[in-house]
Amino acid sequence: MSKILRINMSDLGHKWETLPKKYETLAGRAFTSAVIHDEVDPTCHPLREKNKFVIAPGLLAGTMAPSSGRLSVGGKSPLTGGIKEANAGGLTATRLGYLDLRGVIIEGAPPAETKDWYSIYFGKDKCEVKKTNDYAGMGLYELIGKIWKDYPNKPGIIGCGIAGQRLHKGAGVFGNNVENTDPGRYAGRGGLGAVLGSKRIIAIISDASDGSRPEAKDKDRFEKGRKAFKDALENHALTGRLNNEKGEPYGALKNYGTNVLQNILNEAGALPTRGFRTGRFEDAAKISGEAVHDLIDKTRKKFGNKAEGKYGHACHPGCVIACSNVVPYEKTGKAQVSPLEYETAWAFGTNLGIGVLHDVAEMNRICNDLGLDTIDAGNAIAMFMESGLIDFGDGPAAIELLKKGYNSESAEGALVCSGALTAGETLGVSRIPVVKGQALPAYDPRAIRGIGVTYATTTMGADHTAGYTIAAEIVGIKGTVTDPKAIDKAGLSRTFQATTAYIDSTGYCLFIAFCILDDDSGFGGMLDTVNGFLGKDIDVGEYGMAVLKNERAFNKGAGFTAKDGRLPEFFHTEPLPPHNVVFEVSDEEIDAVYKDM
Amino acid sequence: MKILAKLYATLRKYAPPDNELGEFFEVEFNGATISDLIEQLGFTQEQARIVFVNDSQTSDLLSTLSNGDRVVMFPPVGGG
Repeated sequence: MSKILRINMSDLGHKWETLPKKYETLAGRAFTSAVIHDEVDPTCHPLREKNKFVIAPGLLAGTMAPSSGRLSVGGKSPLTGGIKEANAGGLTATRLGYLDLRGVIIEGAPPAETKDWYSIYFGKDKCEVKKTNDYAGMGLYELIGKIWKDYPNKPGIIGCGIAGQRLHKGAGVFGNNVENTDPGRYAGRGGLGAVLGSKRIIAIISDASDGSRPEAKDKDRFEKGRKAFKDALENHALTGRLNNEKGEPYGALKNYGTNVLQNILNEAGALPTRGFRTGRFEDAAKISGEAVHDLIDKTRKKFGNKAEGKYGHACHPGCVIACSNVVPYEKTGKAQVSPLEYETAWAFGTNLGIGVLHDVAEMNRICNDLGLDTIDAGNAIAMFMESGLIDFGDGPAAIELLKKGYNSESAEGALVCSGALTAGETLGVSRIPVVKGQALPAYDPRAIRGIGVTYATTTMGADHTAGYTIAAEIVGIKGTVTDPKAIDKAGLSRTFQATTAYIDSTGYCLFIAFCILDDDSGFGGMLDTVNGFLGKDIDVGEYGMAVLKNERAFNKGAGFTAKDGRLPEFFHTEPLPPHNVVFEVSDEEIDAVYKDM
Repeated sequence: MKILAKLYATLRKYAPPDNELGEFFEVEFNGATISDLIEQLGFTQEQARIVFVNDSQTSDLLSTLSNGDRVVMFPPVGGG
């Protein structure tokens, strides 16, 4: 019987609870959003004791289902003021699955005068809230190494770094990678790292050494679905195997990672460049997934088995898509950062006019070490460039600025850790690319309007993953999109948002969508794994909409209205070259997305 | 006629070996349509999932090309 672990940071106590009947089918995002909706006052201050931090593995985490080990974390976001779910790979979801834990709820906070820092360690039938002042202020590369020495059972780790410990709104929740070499598995968005910091928690350490693999209620159905789904993923040209039978590169994500998008968005004229001024970046190819692939091959050739660069790297145990990578230093072949994803390469590269792969990867590494969301940090640096304090394209200056984040006495360092909105407003910038206070990711809504509708209407603030309409609008998944301009943007966005909420709850990586939308046997197999695991059928659309309903109700309670679902003015007034388009979706169309909710 | 072509991701192996990533290469084109060009370059229509002609995305592989057209092709790609 699944359990919930509830930890109260006001008295440092904990209790194990039986999963309530009403949460029986809820996991991942469905679980975090239900708990936040049911238990957190939407008007509370996100960085005080009334907020809660909820951790939930996806439903299938720990099972043999392929690519199903994603973790959700949730709370009231200090960045948006609304509900937040952020998710990531890493080890923690699998560990929680093995412990049969549907969720960990952290509530309360130590008294305000507390100077102590804590970490939470739990395993099968054991939980301790420990004083760990020695973990405070440490870079996260060093911290994860220390924790694996302190706890040799290879635990999952999530937590907050220096940015979260200082309650900065750009702080993400880090996670250790499978090899524990990089803290780069980030549930990055929405400042949830600061929520952990406000509870004086640095690390949450999960030890599943006495746990066991979760079992499906209908084992035959689960197993049949798992095999069909795994085959579909491995055969799809996007999610599939590394090489074809001739030994040539085959699966795009395994070979090039998510950063395979850099060139296509550039060719489409939809790649936001130098603070969303143009849709094309002349150096896009130099920081693209193809360039990373070539660098890895080059360093492998030069340094042989000492080379640490990798593509086709899994972000969690059992991922068959393996879109992660390890970017090597060109000069030594040693690991610089893992992973470098599209959004990050964009945030520190294209968005800042920086076409030097080393500089982009270095900023990613600094963020991983500080505990910062790369998308908001990159956009915050762009605000410094907009204001003229540093120049677009100046990589060394951008790196130096980001490093100020380590210095507790630097106001610039605090700003760069506080997200694009705070940085932009402080520096007198009027072109601040945010919705609900959260910075836009790497798709310009003027050129790709469906994603603009998602940015405007999702409960999360500007978030591409909340309803990834790019799949239909640019990538042409689900076949015959003859004219992307003719798509009903509102309907498209709503359908994607509901489906996404379902996927975010199953533990599956969102990228399975590319395969299941294209391949009916893959879709059927995926459904069989979920329904076979639960021993009952659930409806994808209804399940997803129920998640969105909880999230929207919370945001309404927090004071959000239709006017919060708008893109910044400049997207309506400044045409984006080369196609010279503005965001032309009307407010009425945007409000139609959730007119009945 | 001459066509300028650009290939990305898993299609790069069909470009000349000295072609720089992100740069066009010139093709002495003997056919008429985009699908003819795909055949001439040596891959299949299924592999050319995303096609741009002169900066505009198209899914009509039977449309005819003109001298000097710029054609950019990608296999199925995605991520985010």
